[in-house]
Amino acid sequence: MIEDDLRAAFVRHEPLTPSTGPLRVAIDRLAAVRRRRRQRFQAAGVTLALLGALGVGVPHLRPDRQVEGPSLSGQPAGAQSGALNVLLVGVDGFGDQPSYRLADSVLLVHIPADRSRPYLISLPRDLEVSIPGRGVEKLNSAFYTGAGEPRPDLDAGYDLTRQVVADLTGVRVDAGAVLTFAGLRRITEAVDGVEVCLPKEVRSWHTRRTFPAGCQLLDGDASVDLLRQRRYPPDGASDRDRNAQRYVAGLVRRAVAQDVLTSPVRLTALLSAAGKGLAVDDDGLPLTRLVAVLPELKTVDPVGLSLPVGPPAGNASRLPLDPKQGPEFLAALREDRVAQWAAQHPEQVNPVR
Amino acid sequence: MTYEEFADTRLAPLLRYAVMLTGEPHQAQDLVQETMVRVQLNWRRVARADSPERYVRRMLTNQYVDWRRGSWVRRVLLRGEPDTSVPMPTDHAQSAVDRDQVWSWLSRLPRRQRAALVLRYYEDLPDVEIADTLGCAVGTVRSSISRALATLRAEYVEA
Repeated sequence: MIEDDLRAAFVRHEPLTPSTGPLRVAIDRLAAVRRRRRQRFQAAGVTLALLGALGVGVPHLRPDRQVEGPSLSGQPAGAQSGALNVLLVGVDGFGDQPSYRLADSVLLVHIPADRSRPYLISLPRDLEVSIPGRGVEKLNSAFYTGAGEPRPDLDAGYDLTRQVVADLTGVRVDAGAVLTFAGLRRITEAVDGVEVCLPKEVRSWHTRRTFPAGCQLLDGDASVDLLRQRRYPPDGASDRDRNAQRYVAGLVRRAVAQDVLTSPVRLTALLSAAGKGLAVDDDGLPLTRLVAVLPELKTVDPVGLSLPVGPPAGNASRLPLDPKQGPEFLAALREDRVAQWAAQHPEQVNPVR
Repeated sequence: MTYEEFADTRLAPLLRYAVMLTGEPHQAQDLVQETMVRVQLNWRRVARADSPERYVRRMLTNQYVDWRRGSWVRRVLLRGEPDTSVPMPTDHAQSAVDRDQVWSWLSRLPRRQRAALVLRYYEDLPDVEIADTLGCAVGTVRSSISRALATLRAEYVEA
């Protein structure tokens, strides 16, 4: 009978089983690595996201940057300009261990050398980019490709996204962080909610929430909900990117209003509120240095911009870089002339307040 | 129970179970390693379960069934098709050949079906517990086992 044959086949192959000794050692080692990594995230997360968004940072940090970070395809402009670029990646996926993650929002926080104000530059998730080992793809799949399945690794996802963004823009990414939905919720709650000002009503595709036009205070869940919406808004993912900028602008205002960055007590409280929903770029600027430096910006009110893109290419939904404005903008970014570019292209500026 | 105690007693049976699932020692090691790392990191949650043993078997089974892309499938593909070029049977070798055929036919079954077979005919679990392990209804377990057996019987007829 087939059942008996099956039983016999299983028993007969028992000797294939390797010994458990080496495996047990390997398990312990790997678990120790992951545990360390997890703790690192917990300590570092919120600080870096906040400081990154605020564009803290500055002259003290310059010397380190000569030796750190990858050199980018022979384009040292970013490194020499004294400008600072922080990469914030917002990824989707619920629960502790989603089986894959895509980047919903990719935001480059650009701080010019004169420290006048931060610029929030959205890189559309549908942007056509070249991903090493994968070919021409959408930007959001860089994170997915790097992070892998079925246990996405935030570090690896970030690393590949950073590489793709650096190759695309030609600027050095000085620091960065990955924010999950859970991290977003906790950050929002750590500052008792974030005020977001919307030009138009936004309806949620996922919940029954409707976000009215105008300014409103969002709690953690509402923030996550808002930053997921791209189905109903007329301009889809671009509208979502603008909302992400409005959120960051609101978060910055909130943090400043609460003296988070100048008060060690508040900062510590925020740190302990941080969860593992955040992964931080370890190869970037040393975190201790970032935390030690207070904001020196003349104003923290950010300017929202988007990388100029053209219409979808062919029958794919990928958005290529705008053939004219795209390279101009990137040149301005590399040469630290973003303020000038924004003044010349007021239609590209997204009001964030 | 501590993680150490659990590993002392349960690691070997889990590894044997993984060999039956994957049919191959290296993949079995990978599967158990990945599962046990998560067990160790989340030990408190595992220990809270009614039966940590069952809980971990469910984790490992899910991992096996769900592993889609990534290293897992690449390895499976690299391993190639099971060897079907059976040598001309001689009388005394006939039964040995048959037995190895069963093993190679198993590798062609969908993973859920194979898992169900292993749980019933190797782990000797009742259908209710198999259903719990696979996260499906008892009826689903029975139908996937009978489908798997039908596939294997068809192979017998052809061979």
